Amino acid sequence: MPNDYQTKIAELKSLLLAGQPTFWAMLKTATRSAQDFEELFVLSSLRRKAQARNLAPSNPPKEKIRLAILGGYSLYPLHELIEHLCEVENLPVELWQGDYDNYISEIMDDASGLYSFAPQVVFLLPAERRCLYPGSLTDPRPAQQAEAQRVVDSLLELARKVNEKTRAEVITTNFMLPARHDLGAFRSRTLGSDWSFRKWVNLELGLAAPAYLHICDWEFLAQRLGGLAARDERSWFESKQPCSSALLVELAREAAQLISSFKRAPKKVLVLDLDNTLWGGVVADDGLEGIELGDTSPRGEAFKAFQKYIASLKQRGVLLAVCSKNDFARAAEPFEKHPDMVLKMEDIVAFKANWEPKSENIRAMAPELNLGLDSFVFMDDNPAEIEIVRQFAPEVTTILLGPDPSDYVAQLADCRLFEPRSITDEDAGRTSQYRSDAQRKALAASVTDMAAYLESLSMEAVISEFLPVDVPRLSQLINKSNQFNLTTRRRSEAEVTAVMNDSNFIGYSVRLKDRFGDHGLISIVIGEKKDGALRIDTWLMSCRVLKRGVEELVLNELVRLAKMKNCIRLEGFFLPTPKNEMVRDFYGRMGFTLTAESETQREFELPLESWQPMPVKIKTIRHAYEPS
Amino acid sequence: MNQAEVIARLQTIFDTVFLEPVVLTPAISAKDVPEWDSLTHISLMVAVEKSFGVRFRVGEVENAKNIGEFADLIAKRRQEK
Repeated sequence: MPNDYQTKIAELKSLLLAGQPTFWAMLKTATRSAQDFEELFVLSSLRRKAQARNLAPSNPPKEKIRLAILGGYSLYPLHELIEHLCEVENLPVELWQGDYDNYISEIMDDASGLYSFAPQVVFLLPAERRCLYPGSLTDPRPAQQAEAQRVVDSLLELARKVNEKTRAEVITTNFMLPARHDLGAFRSRTLGSDWSFRKWVNLELGLAAPAYLHICDWEFLAQRLGGLAARDERSWFESKQPCSSALLVELAREAAQLISSFKRAPKKVLVLDLDNTLWGGVVADDGLEGIELGDTSPRGEAFKAFQKYIASLKQRGVLLAVCSKNDFARAAEPFEKHPDMVLKMEDIVAFKANWEPKSENIRAMAPELNLGLDSFVFMDDNPAEIEIVRQFAPEVTTILLGPDPSDYVAQLADCRLFEPRSITDEDAGRTSQYRSDAQRKALAASVTDMAAYLESLSMEAVISEFLPVDVPRLSQLINKSNQFNLTTRRRSEAEVTAVMNDSNFIGYSVRLKDRFGDHGLISIVIGEKKDGALRIDTWLMSCRVLKRGVEELVLNELVRLAKMKNCIRLEGFFLPTPKNEMVRDFYGRMGFTLTAESETQREFELPLESWQPMPVKIKTIRHAYEPS
Repeated sequence: MNQAEVIARLQTIFDTVFLEPVVLTPAISAKDVPEWDSLTHISLMVAVEKSFGVRFRVGEVENAKNIGEFADLIAKRRQEK
């Protein structure tokens, strides 16, 4: 490690001193692979020095995330690590740090610096020493349980208060478990032991956490690292550190991961190689009987276990695709005939087995599935294939499988690319949605008259104002929708809730069903009333339902609500991004007039006086802001 | 290891951690090095413990007034191993 590490640092230093912008790309790679506290720390100080010398990354985001960190420990140098991890991932933060062990008053006091800072994200590390049972180990269980509940409730109350005041997303750590033998086997026979008490608090806290509260699972992180390696009593006595420096790195990484998950969508498609990825051997050479898959050999078992894990990803909404250098018929055969194949043809939304470069095959999948290339993850055991995709489809995230199939599950399970913030039923149903999309397209090909086709779909829409129960799904769609998205304004769950509760705003969503299936929640609009106009803050739609009349339906509803709010015109905005070119002229197509145009914004207007509703082939079951 | 040998190895650690070169002498201390703030200090100590395979006792590092005394402390802890 040291030599490799020292070379890397030396190279970074020379890039920095020469003022080379490639410094940032290398810093990012080095930061991602850094294991040790001191390595990460040196990288962070190099970043600070680069910033002090005005060596900036090439595409800095416009705004910083306002992050407050507070808790029952010294937050120094934890804050440095979090800031570094966020900044190298192009999520610059503006930090506010609480004083050591002052978090309760910082949160309870309305006049505290926390509130004048107006954070968007609050990271709270409650003190472990306030999470213990003060009575006797032999007290009756109800008394011990009541005390544990009190600890949970007081944490939930702190989170509630800070969220209510700031609308920030709140992250709280839970509690590390002890790692010493103290009490022996008795520790699990009483809720009064630190071991049982904290486990109970952690469980209740996680299960009771409202949508705006995110658990940074310290118990899990410490367990993963190893209980003894997680703690460092000396650093507590010397400088009130919360844990060992090794765990501090993991804690900072987890916090940065959570913060980035508020702004960035998880990946949507996993593209899989076949030979030596889903089974052992080469099906074209070894034949259907010759490939290693199933319980007859350890290697076969490992491949089957990997397929089972992949199937579980599909269950939580990840789309599966295949990309293999193969003859199509040979590649498809195991899916159709092998008794130990866990994955079946119907699990795969796109199946490419041919001799074209894999980068081209994956590029071709994107429009077929109506998804951006950056939603794709490609997994292969062959470094050459990975390299081709890296070079020619750089938006795709790649995972090079290691030499041992028994490690495959761990590699995928640790990749952190498919973590849901909250699993919705709609995620689980998405593969069937995409599949019935294919059937629908077949029908469109057979029906020449578009109107007759739309009629034949028997579409039904439910339009609903923002409802508390929809908030996770609303925020999820707002944060991942890229293509049909006029303004690409991201909103956390807390921010969606704020819109919902502000009477100057209207916000509604559309759910669509047709005779092939339920599309779920597919369009979201947010409007703000201002000087007789309803300004369209957000208008987005899932591309799966393009050109079905949803656009017109949404506009009809928008006008209806605008009139209800006594507005005389709609104002629409197009904010260009690399991905939303398809809606550049959308407002024009919908009858709006272009009133102003610049590089960064196009403005449109639609007077409502003589406006006539647009014809649609969708039956509206319910309108927004009306009793259902 | 004597003091000079310890300082020689410390030099390689400092060369990695600091951007501006620092030439270590027994008399030098944190206040002489602008980059040596308390944040860098934590990182240095982790690196030193790992490199020398020692573990300082609670509170003793802050008693060392300069690099010379710090090197002596490292040598002493190494001997006890």
